[in-house]
Amino acid sequence: MLVLENLAKTYRTGTGHVNALDGVSLRIERGEFVAVCGPSGSGKTTLLMMVAAMLRPSRGSVRFENEDVYAMTAPARAKFRAHNIGFVFQMFHLVPYLNVLENVLVAGGAIGAADKTSANELLQRLGLQHRIGHRPSELSAGEKQRTAIARALLNRPKLILADEPTGNLDPENARSVLSHLHDFQQAGGTVIVATHGATAGEFATRTIHLRDGALANPS
Amino acid sequence: MSVVRMISKEIWHRKINFLLAVLAVTTAVAFFVAFLTAARASERETARLMLSMGYNLHVIAKEANLGGFLMSGIPDKTMPQSCLDTLAKQQSISYNHLLATLDGKVSLQGIEVILTGVAPEVCPPGQQKAPMSFRIEAGAAYVGHRVAQALGIQKGQTIALNGRELRVERCLGESGGMDDMRIQCSLEDAQAILGLPGQISQIMAVDCLCFAKRDPVAILRKEIGAILPEAQVLQVKSLAGARAKQRQMIRDLFAVMLPFVLAACGVWIGVLAMTNVRDRQQEIGLLRALGYDTGSILRLFLGKAALVGLFGAGAGFLLGTGLGLRFGPDVFEITAQAMLRPELSLFVFSCILAPLFAVIASFVAAMVAITYDPATTLREE
Repeated sequence: MLVLENLAKTYRTGTGHVNALDGVSLRIERGEFVAVCGPSGSGKTTLLMMVAAMLRPSRGSVRFENEDVYAMTAPARAKFRAHNIGFVFQMFHLVPYLNVLENVLVAGGAIGAADKTSANELLQRLGLQHRIGHRPSELSAGEKQRTAIARALLNRPKLILADEPTGNLDPENARSVLSHLHDFQQAGGTVIVATHGATAGEFATRTIHLRDGALANPS
Repeated sequence: MSVVRMISKEIWHRKINFLLAVLAVTTAVAFFVAFLTAARASERETARLMLSMGYNLHVIAKEANLGGFLMSGIPDKTMPQSCLDTLAKQQSISYNHLLATLDGKVSLQGIEVILTGVAPEVCPPGQQKAPMSFRIEAGAAYVGHRVAQALGIQKGQTIALNGRELRVERCLGESGGMDDMRIQCSLEDAQAILGLPGQISQIMAVDCLCFAKRDPVAILRKEIGAILPEAQVLQVKSLAGARAKQRQMIRDLFAVMLPFVLAACGVWIGVLAMTNVRDRQQEIGLLRALGYDTGSILRLFLGKAALVGLFGAGAGFLLGTGLGLRFGPDVFEITAQAMLRPELSLFVFSCILAPLFAVIASFVAAMVAITYDPATTLREE
């Protein structure tokens, strides 16, 4: 489903070059739950951004269902993301002026469809039905992240990319969030979670380790 | 989730930003509306004054003795009546009223009087204007005050001029000028009485100005000379000058102040839009990550700018009209308060131009918004 070949990202700095990612090759099949582990600065987020078609690699390619995502035009990549990828971020990134339901429906706006019924069903499944009209500022961290998961699921993506989704949550909420991602994977979806914690490992079908931009356990 | 709904929600969430931006547009629109409300009133007032002062342009036959005309007010040569149509149809000169007359001296019961045949007034094509002079039907006569008094003429009587009878329609009040010794009738009657069929003595015009900035009389002479080679032109400079000066003053003042006001308000809106974009960096990053294209992001910010413009147009029109009505007379010395009235056409202009102005002022900020890299903004925590 997803093939990363020799991915590298080099940033120029005032003093020289920094290799955020250096020759990562990886194959991820449909239905996998992959935990990408590593310390801060190891290149986890860079890897996720590249998979998300948001960060062009300095070298290498990202193939999603046999299509090179960086060979697409920018509008085509945007459309690709809208239809295939759901995002969950550590900082939730909910739109502050929209309520819970509207924050979920924002994802539908990208594909020109506002499926309110699906959004309500998702929120109910995630235990947020009583919070539908609330703004993000009125939610707990766990509720915010579950809202973000509902948003990620709305367009029925094939892949969910989660960048430190439990980083701001207590163990109970972290477990709940990972369990929802696990449900998605069990339903046939693919999940890649970047984390430096160990909790994700309990749900992952595969764990890979990044260190200094390279795979620590290439396989 | 439609863009329109997102815009309205965001406006409600960041009310201060929105209200400050609306205030900027309101300021620009209010200035524009107040100025033009007062200026248009001033123009109407000047036009009214000029109407009461009479015609400011005389076109007479080229061979006519100018000195004699200035002394008597009657040209000694005539020109074809078709000159009126020729002048009326041209595009290079603006006018409000054209009036052709045929003047001559005739004897009535032993008294020499001025006979003036008046053609129907001509207004620019498609413009209906209240006539400045009487419309005299064929067979009717308007008798000047002194003539009527000297000969005991009364309304309803019949007078005979060179054998042609005219019914006295009206005896005019005292003017204190040459009109008191004048009998006015239709152009056709005058042509018959004076034996000059198809001829006119002069064409008089009101507000006749060419579209040129400098030395309008010289240019007007040249222009009319090209249109009517058989004519010469006299302009009553005090009237034309006052009109031109008044117009120029309005134009100059507007031309100096408007760019400053627009620039200040434009920068104001631009800075607020930029602040809004910076405040929403992560939101923009999220939307890009979710698959919103550049067009959607642009619509989000430029749509808001258009709404700012629309609200500013409404508020600015009300404020500007109020200011124009209140302070207009002080700025333009408008003597007749009745000339001041709300200019609804400016509301329509404001509703079109203000959103455009706000969109242009916010354009740089919107462009910045679409250049944000989601991979960067979403990592900033």
